[in-house]
Amino acid sequence: MIPFVAVVSLRGRKSRTLRIWVPLILLWLFLVPLGVLLSPLVFIVFLACRVNPFRAFSVGWQILYALNDTEFEIDHPSAGVSICVF
Amino acid sequence: MNEHRRQILQMLSEGKISADEAERLIAALEERPAGSSENVSDSGAKARPKYLRVQVDSEDDGHEGPTKVNVRVPMQLLRAGVKLAGLIPPQALHRANVAIHEKGIPFDLSQIKPENLEELIDQLSDLSVDVDQKDHATKVKVKVFCE
Repeated sequence: MIPFVAVVSLRGRKSRTLRIWVPLILLWLFLVPLGVLLSPLVFIVFLACRVNPFRAFSVGWQILYALNDTEFEIDHPSAGVSICVF
Repeated sequence: MNEHRRQILQMLSEGKISADEAERLIAALEERPAGSSENVSDSGAKARPKYLRVQVDSEDDGHEGPTKVNVRVPMQLLRAGVKLAGLIPPQALHRANVAIHEKGIPFDLSQIKPENLEELIDQLSDLSVDVDQKDHATKVKVKVFCE
């Protein structure tokens, strides 16, 4: 399943943590019609670069699909950032 | 009887090790934790790891404290990522090959097949990298493993 939510946590020096839930599903809903509109152009660009557009779309979709459960965390006494994709 | 125990007994029967050594080796085998990778492979059902974990722990003397980086990448994402190599246009692949040869590395990127990449990802399950570096004022620990 493609990721629906990303949780971004930001921590400052005073140990206050700001947690932001990013509803990725809204982003996908916005990008789908845009992608459909731009697909002929993207298709031509891929062909011009001699890249199989179907394969490129397939790999892009697989990467998007596999993003689930990705976690990235940096922690320092002065600040911390954490990004989790669900 | 698992494979390791059989090997120990075989070495004992061949006279390569003494009875005491065999006993010690078997005791060491039994002391292993139940969830160790060896035991899992013995049962024949080795679980495929789901994530690649990278942990970096860096500490500077005289600074505020340690910096920790913790990255968890799904293996599925690595699998999809390596497929991007198949999308490299032939001209770019040729230029990359030329650059690699100029560096004296006998490697041809065009020889990489999707099945090779799959195999590479599969072999990552046994990967474990531990780097422990200590400079004048800096201590860095890097751990890469699959889970």
